[in-house]
Amino acid sequence: MKLREYEAKKVMKEAGIPVPAGFLIRSADELTPHLGGLGDAFVLKAQVDVGGRGKAGGILMADKKSGLAVARELFGKQIKGLAVHEILAEQRLTIQHEYYLSITVDRSSKQPLILFTEAGGVDIEVTAKEHPELIRRATPNPLMRDLPPFMLRELVGTAPKEIGPVINKLYRVFIEKDALLAEINPLVTTPGGVFAADAKIIVDDNALGRQGIAVNRGLSEREREAEKNGFSYVELDGAIGVIGNGAGLTMATLDLIEYYGGKAANFLDVGGGAESERVMNAVRLVASVPSVKVIVVNLLGGITKCDEVAKGIIAAGISQKVIVRLAGTNEAEGRKLLSEKGYEMLDTMDLVVKKAVEVTA
Amino acid sequence: MIYGDKDTGILVQGATGKQGEFHIGLMNAYARQVGGRGVVAGVTPGKGGQQVHGVPVFNTVKDAMKEHDIGSAVIFVPAGAAADAIMEEANAGITTIVCITEHIPVHDTMKAIAYARMEGAAVIGPNCPGLLSPGEVKMGIMPSGLFSRGNVGVISRSGTLTYEVVDELTRAGIGQSTVVGIGGDPVIGQTFVDVLERFEQDPRTKAVVLIGEVGGNLEEEGAKSTDLPIVSYIAGVSAPPDKRMGHAGAIVEGGEGDARSKIARLKNHGVPVASRVSEIPEMVRELFRCRC
Repeated sequence: MKLREYEAKKVMKEAGIPVPAGFLIRSADELTPHLGGLGDAFVLKAQVDVGGRGKAGGILMADKKSGLAVARELFGKQIKGLAVHEILAEQRLTIQHEYYLSITVDRSSKQPLILFTEAGGVDIEVTAKEHPELIRRATPNPLMRDLPPFMLRELVGTAPKEIGPVINKLYRVFIEKDALLAEINPLVTTPGGVFAADAKIIVDDNALGRQGIAVNRGLSEREREAEKNGFSYVELDGAIGVIGNGAGLTMATLDLIEYYGGKAANFLDVGGGAESERVMNAVRLVASVPSVKVIVVNLLGGITKCDEVAKGIIAAGISQKVIVRLAGTNEAEGRKLLSEKGYEMLDTMDLVVKKAVEVTA
Repeated sequence: MIYGDKDTGILVQGATGKQGEFHIGLMNAYARQVGGRGVVAGVTPGKGGQQVHGVPVFNTVKDAMKEHDIGSAVIFVPAGAAADAIMEEANAGITTIVCITEHIPVHDTMKAIAYARMEGAAVIGPNCPGLLSPGEVKMGIMPSGLFSRGNVGVISRSGTLTYEVVDELTRAGIGQSTVVGIGGDPVIGQTFVDVLERFEQDPRTKAVVLIGEVGGNLEEEGAKSTDLPIVSYIAGVSAPPDKRMGHAGAIVEGGEGDARSKIARLKNHGVPVASRVSEIPEMVRELFRCRC
């Protein structure tokens, strides 16, 4: 789950990383008592869960005189379709130089990966492609709580020395907050020292519990409903609903829909060992998506029993057509139950998907 | 054979839990069928002295090692205890550790794998179905009925999709040497590169089916690392960016690791990539035809 900028900055501030002075407001009126606290000129930043908000008009410059009007304007805006409920009002910095600093999980080395470049202020992906030599990297052993000084010296290079401690503090944040990403872009030098001008932290969804985060804000309402049932669920925009067991098999079913020229409405992995009630909930959930015209059920039973699946499909009692491919444990019983009720069953995933694409064509 | 054979004694961590108990039964049924040793010991702290399907349970891995010859371990403990289980086994001297558990926080996985590496242990998983060498050994949860013995190795990031592929291969008369599910998390112990290295040393394996998915570039790294003939399949061509497709590791991040560019890179390297699972058996046959 991605933390909002003000949340990420709070985490960084607590870790001893300097952040600009600022405060959060939930309405324009809340700005008034603080006017003047940030100096004459300041920045208003919409706290919305979407990338690229700057270009979408979510960051506005303001001063003492215009502040209230600008705040009202920003609260009235939609940023990439999202309403603005929170604004971070922040001191405007006098920037001398911009740097880029991030820590991610590196799949290849199976270790944290620290990236630092003095060529900040531009898109990091562009720098990585055009001037990879300008990006310095380190992959510390994750068993270490602090980075060794040599590693900090290698990363900082010719940049101001005071950046070294910031890198180590961000590494601690990365470890202690179960982060998949901890990023400061840009990290800036000003006459008053180094500051994290922006802050981004993504917390591992598997660690939300121990990080004290009760609700995963990154999920839509239906995704949250799915999570309660233990399903992995992603909503797409086609007409063919998909229920599978196992992430890979479900993804392969979606790909096959695309291969045959159809469009999937969703991804739903019911997980292993699904019993009839879970299957019923899955079928009803997918059927509740307005765009769904037909549902493909592709289940390969190992621990999942086909008769339980059949009972669940029947109990769901939905109006859309359900096309089923069942294989594995108790396959014969499952097929018998479904054929008695007149459900369409086919032997392979190619066949069920082809059929569903025909139905929606 | 890679990672183990009939003579490998297996330890199950989390032996008295529902999953552990269920799969000790299945693993030992398979061992009886092929004449292997199967699961010889279980571990659950505080449950030492009990038995599960006739298998003795110990409080610690070291206790179990004192009384039994153990070559590998399979972990079924909950996510919060799994990293600790990996480290306990590595510290006790077990060299092949299969971690079935899913939803382990990635920082725990990184630490456990770093520790296991220092102790000289290979970790398969987490969030994986384990491995099966038909006619030899099963370490994990794969449904053995679909498998047949032969000379094609299979490496995969997923579970049921692997069974689908194995089922297609078996139906087409193509047997498998060893099938390894390396896991669907962003950080896993044995990657395609590591398993391919083992397959190269394995006289039985003549070709490999590499089943990948969106996220990262471990598939490409694997394909580049080996001289073995490979057929690949990549799931997630239709996956939208920044959405996690079930597996924690199956996510296209910052425009990286999408299926189409992955497929293009594999093809550039001369690896044939199937568009559908059902095409894989014919492509494997084709592989043998050109090599012969």
